[in-house]
Amino acid sequence: MEKESPNANQPELAYLQLLHLADSAFPIGALSHSFGLETLVAANQLSPKSLELFLQGYLEEAGATEAVFCREAAKLANESATNFPIERWREINETLSALKPARESRNGSASLGRNFLRAVLAVSENKILRQALEAAENSPAHSIENSPAFGLACGALKFDEDAIVLAYLHQWTANSVSAVQRLSPLGQTQATQILWNLKPAMLEAANRSAKLSPDNLSCFTPMLDWGAMEHPALTTRLFIS
Amino acid sequence: MALLNETAAAINSATTPRVNAKLNLEFAYDQAKQTTILQESSSNPPLKVIRAFQIADGAALVHLHNVSGGLLGDDRLAMSVRLAENAKIQITTTGATRIYRARESATPATQQTEITLAENAFLEYLPDPIIPYAHARYSQQTTIHLAKNAGLFWWEILAPGREAHGELFAYDSVEMKTDIIAQGQKIARERIQLNPKKFALDSPTRLGPYRYWATFYICKQGPAPAEWQALENKLRETASEFPTPNETRWGISTLPAHGVVCRCLSMRGRDAIQGLHHLWRTAKQSLYNAEAIPPRKVN
Repeated sequence: MEKESPNANQPELAYLQLLHLADSAFPIGALSHSFGLETLVAANQLSPKSLELFLQGYLEEAGATEAVFCREAAKLANESATNFPIERWREINETLSALKPARESRNGSASLGRNFLRAVLAVSENKILRQALEAAENSPAHSIENSPAFGLACGALKFDEDAIVLAYLHQWTANSVSAVQRLSPLGQTQATQILWNLKPAMLEAANRSAKLSPDNLSCFTPMLDWGAMEHPALTTRLFIS
Repeated sequence: MALLNETAAAINSATTPRVNAKLNLEFAYDQAKQTTILQESSSNPPLKVIRAFQIADGAALVHLHNVSGGLLGDDRLAMSVRLAENAKIQITTTGATRIYRARESATPATQQTEITLAENAFLEYLPDPIIPYAHARYSQQTTIHLAKNAGLFWWEILAPGREAHGELFAYDSVEMKTDIIAQGQKIARERIQLNPKKFALDSPTRLGPYRYWATFYICKQGPAPAEWQALENKLRETASEFPTPNETRWGISTLPAHGVVCRCLSMRGRDAIQGLHHLWRTAKQSLYNAEAIPPRKVN
């Protein structure tokens, strides 16, 4: 096991590590979740044709919201050099969890968040991350949501805050495109084009998140919420959520 | 979506409010009569509660009146409702909450609601829809605190505007902030800012082809997580029997704890209202083995 990440003076190493952590192949189970997209495709409410517009709306609303919490956690890591504020960490996760109306999406996010911290700790020991994970494992009601976990881990590893948020949004968007590829006739070329076209929207969501806080953000995604809430009712399912 | 945070902006504004109204209601349980009474009531126009009616299950029913007919720009309304231990109440409105066009210089109309339920208290909050007219600007903030064993049925319906006048999402902005806190734990939170001119509400992520949006919280301290899961399944089964499933979609899910939330997307307001009443009946029967009694204006 390596010692705490020493990348503050090695920006190239930090860049490579961030690429690694934001890779959709990072073993946390992200590819098993559609977060409601499967229901929308099954109900003909989402198709390859409407995917780019859908994800644009997602990034404006839920993307910016997740980015706010990712950023909050990254800041928390940066401010916690000596004593990790467990109560604030719990509050960040509880607040984000309360914003998610769909049980499966909430549970999916909590599963990915916990898996992410465990996976990072498996390759690079870190005191802050260890405390954050143990705080949750000692309290069953304490969830670890995915975006704060990503923010906290990358913040603890001293990556740049804006880069962390952008990497998170890119990873989430790429996973969503990948899910729709497995659910509908969306070819590789078209999928790549959609992901490419959405990069300005990711940038916009990241920029907006820098001006928001968990209390004054906005998230209105009723179609996505409906898909996520009704996913348990699908008779045939490829995804957990 | 762009930050409006209009409640705070309006409150901090130097503009003199057109109306600055407060309504305070306190309910207590009368052990001897086994009924809930309206113990304290104070208000200034345009908010008003005339009296509390007793309903068959011993609860008190109050109708919220807005004697000015609706909200205008610069209006600031605040409502505080406190339920003492074992109090049971039902609150409804006398009609839709109309949000009128705001003058260009006006701050958004604001409505702040603070509801506190003591141990074993029970609230059914069943208002008519909110209708934001063309160029309306509105911001509401609702906070609900639940003590041990307190129970809540709470819904909200947002209309697209005055459909009969051809107004669809012609308002300037609507902001809705909601927090439900059960014994210190945040169990539900909404932060919604709608600005149809900047962010299209017919986006496939937002309302898609639908016009009405409703949210319905069913909360109670006490039932185990498995019981909430069972209620989620039961309510989904109830919703699956509603007519015209493609014109009205219902999402049902347990909350992080102590409750279930139902969300509705609908082409028509009446379908949303009827569906809410069905789900309310099912949930009340399941959780309390009791009949849902529609507010007296309905039956």
